[in-house]
Amino acid sequence: MAELPPTSSIKRWLVTTNHKDVGILYVLTATFFLLFGGALALLLRVELWDPLSTVLAGRGMAYNEAVTAHGLIMVFWFLSPFAFGFANYFVPLQIGADDLAFPRLNALSYWMYAFSGVLMGISFFQGGTMTGGWTLYAPLNIPAYTPSIGSTGTVLAIAMFVAAVTASTINFLTTIHHSRAEGMGLMDMPMFTWSILATVWMMLFAFAVYLGALLLLSTDRILGSVYFSATEGGALLWGHLFWFFGHPEVYIVLFPALGVMLEIFQTFSGNRLVGRKWVIIAFVLISVQSFLVWMHHMYLTTINLEIKTLMMATTIGISLPFDLLVFAMIYTLVKGRIRFETPFLFAFGSLLLFIVGGITGVFLGAIVLDYEFRGTYWVVAHFHYVMFGGATALFGGVYYWFPKMTGKMYNELLGKIHFAVFFVGFNIVYFSMFTAWETPRRVFEYNQALVTSHQIGTVGAFILGLSFFIMFYNLGKSYLSGPDAPDNPWQYSRTAEWAISSPPPLENWDGRASYANGHLEFIDEGHDEHAAATDGGHASENEASDYVLGDKHASHASIWPIAVSGSVLVFLLGLSGIAESLSIDSGASLSGISVALEGTAMYPVLTAVGLVALLYTSIKWGLEDFYAPPAQIADRWPFGRIEKNKLGMWFFLASDVLVFGAFISAAVFIRVHAGWHSWTPIPDSIFGLVNTFVLLTSSFTVILALVFSRRGNTKGLVASIGATMLLALTFMGVKAFEWWEKIYVDGVTIGAAPEPYSAIQASVYFVTTGLHAVHVVIGLVVAAFLLVRAYQGYYLDDHRPVEYFGLYWHFVDIVWVFLFPLFYLF
Amino acid sequence: MIDIPVLVQQAPEGWQTQAEVFYEIFLVFLVIGTLVGTVVIIYTLHHAYKYRDTGEDDDGFDAPQLGELPSTQSDSGKSKKLFLSFGLSAIIVISVVVYSYTLLLYVEEGPSQPEIETEGNMDIKVTGFQFGWEFEYPNGQTSLDTMRVPAGEDQVIRLHVTSDDVWHTFGATELRLKIDSIPGQTAEGWFIAGEAGNSYLIECFELCGAGHSQMDGEIVVMEPDEFDEWYEGDD
Repeated sequence: MAELPPTSSIKRWLVTTNHKDVGILYVLTATFFLLFGGALALLLRVELWDPLSTVLAGRGMAYNEAVTAHGLIMVFWFLSPFAFGFANYFVPLQIGADDLAFPRLNALSYWMYAFSGVLMGISFFQGGTMTGGWTLYAPLNIPAYTPSIGSTGTVLAIAMFVAAVTASTINFLTTIHHSRAEGMGLMDMPMFTWSILATVWMMLFAFAVYLGALLLLSTDRILGSVYFSATEGGALLWGHLFWFFGHPEVYIVLFPALGVMLEIFQTFSGNRLVGRKWVIIAFVLISVQSFLVWMHHMYLTTINLEIKTLMMATTIGISLPFDLLVFAMIYTLVKGRIRFETPFLFAFGSLLLFIVGGITGVFLGAIVLDYEFRGTYWVVAHFHYVMFGGATALFGGVYYWFPKMTGKMYNELLGKIHFAVFFVGFNIVYFSMFTAWETPRRVFEYNQALVTSHQIGTVGAFILGLSFFIMFYNLGKSYLSGPDAPDNPWQYSRTAEWAISSPPPLENWDGRASYANGHLEFIDEGHDEHAAATDGGHASENEASDYVLGDKHASHASIWPIAVSGSVLVFLLGLSGIAESLSIDSGASLSGISVALEGTAMYPVLTAVGLVALLYTSIKWGLEDFYAPPAQIADRWPFGRIEKNKLGMWFFLASDVLVFGAFISAAVFIRVHAGWHSWTPIPDSIFGLVNTFVLLTSSFTVILALVFSRRGNTKGLVASIGATMLLALTFMGVKAFEWWEKIYVDGVTIGAAPEPYSAIQASVYFVTTGLHAVHVVIGLVVAAFLLVRAYQGYYLDDHRPVEYFGLYWHFVDIVWVFLFPLFYLF
Repeated sequence: MIDIPVLVQQAPEGWQTQAEVFYEIFLVFLVIGTLVGTVVIIYTLHHAYKYRDTGEDDDGFDAPQLGELPSTQSDSGKSKKLFLSFGLSAIIVISVVVYSYTLLLYVEEGPSQPEIETEGNMDIKVTGFQFGWEFEYPNGQTSLDTMRVPAGEDQVIRLHVTSDDVWHTFGATELRLKIDSIPGQTAEGWFIAGEAGNSYLIECFELCGAGHSQMDGEIVVMEPDEFDEWYEGDD
């Protein structure tokens, strides 16, 4: 299935893996969520009109649902995907790549995102969606306080979203580090691409930790663990895990918008960026520092003064590179030839809003002031000014890139009107929040003295909301019947996307892009390939050319991304209600286990069907002949010697390291709060010792497998994969016995334990070693796939799948080396 | 524990309530923030207008070319301006936050000058729950939603705040008092009772469920004799 149907057919959009198509899908879907989240916001504003009257039925819960969903949808389902729509479309063009490194994975990211939004939407109908605020503080986030199935559905939807963006992260990291055109070093990349690079580096680490937190919350909600209800620091644990993610997240949301701002400021002033090198350094500094400030969201908790002071210092520290960014943009305008067309109006307006928001952020950084601003509308006004104000530049990006993506030109006058109405509405609603700043967050009853402020705010909100329809009308009409747009409608633009047609052809350009001569050229591939090979330049430095199969045509379509995503949707939908539908009693012995069905069988059935479908579609994915060749000639510093798929694998493993990092940090945090020495190991150390030997041996057998693969020895390959699987099964067998003994002999279950253990200690033990066990099981499934294929004679010429499975397996073993002492010895 | 007695002495005498501390710092930040914001925005607007494209020739204008690689050379004049502005803004931001920090220690600890009687400090345990506040006094007396305190310019009330269920935040806006109410944790705060007859609204500042908006309470400052009567008497 490598041929793409035409753009007019629906099937095309379901199977495409081309980055430009995926980019368009993201932008359109994110726009839908903008409307969804915006409608929720307007509901909130209507409720705030009069603190004494009720608009939303069942006031407390409906309002809390709206406020929670508004935050979640805007932050996750609108802002980043909207930005990444443009990243998908334009990053490959800007760096001279034919597509993203992993096109099917890219399509998977999109469909997982879209379906996670569906899951989120369904949660409203499952007894009400989550009501804990987008920050999901513990223990409000556990079923004792938010019992609806929809609340669990929301958590799972967010987890699915995180999986989607992690795939995207790995894709962009590999692409930007592996597929740049010859002559384009990292420092030469356009600012939009740089902003995306910084964003995805942050995403790699931040979202992994958040996934860890969400998995812990999911085990609390579905399996009965007690992480977040524990008085031994459970509530604070969520605070730390969430904000360690939450702070980088706000920059993840902001950076692409800054990148767009930087592009537009250059293009519409005709000047090159002032202090470019320092701007790039600022991006890098902020990315790193974003992981060092998170406790400024927790100043009022019981953290000690020394830590608060440190966090205050790091918070001031992080505001400084932003100052530099702002000034760099302002000075770029000086001595320019500025054209106030719609893209620039939005980018410029965005800068002004961002300055206001940034200054109010300094207020929040002063601990004494933060004590009072905590939980008030000052915070809400601040973050809307910086996040939504920053994101305003993305609308500038819409107008900037609309001609390129559609080949049509929008109406400039309507664009200007849109900006005016938008800017006025924006400031009315969000400035009114500053005048009413003493209002507590997330309330619908408030001090009568502030009614006027809130009412003005509501009016502003409607003006802001309605302004979007000017844009929809403008763009819709222009798309259908507007004038054609030239390849490059903007004077003084520099980046590669303006050098090709509007819209660009499927393969982006003929030949390959190159900056080797100091400027953009398209080199005819025919003559070029052989020259490069004999030249011995880049081609011999990496294995890429080993896997380029001559004239084979690159694939552009696959049904499996949407199929896998659909399976995940069904599976998670089933999981959301499974705890309510099944009552499982472990009984007095294994033969006494009883599973009773309560209510409909829908959720258990969906879970089972989804899991089977996921297995099936994943296998089909693995079997598909999808050809996505790496560029033979590219600038790859600093990852020049690493093959494309291996690079992707390493990025994936880095992410997984942090997921385990979150789990292990949680275990350590809880244990410190409970009193480190008050815990004695739950399992007998002999089981851990045996399993350690089993796993280490399996690492050896997996290395053997790679050796046999490289030597072309099928029998040896099959035997060593088989041995690895046997060892993994042994591991699981020992673990099964260990767990059986704990549950049935000692009475230690995931949510309860007799003296000398505690319930939380039991939870930490089962869940952390359980996550590792899940990784072993997944490894077993993949190994089984490899075993069958090896038996059929594969992997003799191309040993890569065996090597990368080995990398994953070594990772699983190394994690065990950390878990063993933590749970079995001390 | 950072022992910086010299900073505590810098909290001026007569400044006793968190409200007063807050107002001063807020005013300073507001003035400086508005000033900086106004200057920067006006500068930006002025230059954006000044350098608008008037349609004149491009002669002598070193326009960027499509497909060019960014050069490493920067306009040195502009670079200098960039660093000057950056340096200035850094100095302003750092000064203003350090200044606020000197008052933080005072707010963290509460008044400890000798003239404020410490034996007379009253310790009240505050427990947030869905959806109200329970106050427990040293003699075991409890009350719901209404915190009665004895009046006094020097009367310090120390609060020990926790929660029975989910995360709340105890806040009295007029007193500029706010303390997180977290299950399993006890957070500390203080305020000065002040004049009798005053009452201050308590609200919850962390989303805690359906009744979050209704979790209002009141701090009532009573004449010391009336307070003693209530304190010793029945509920």
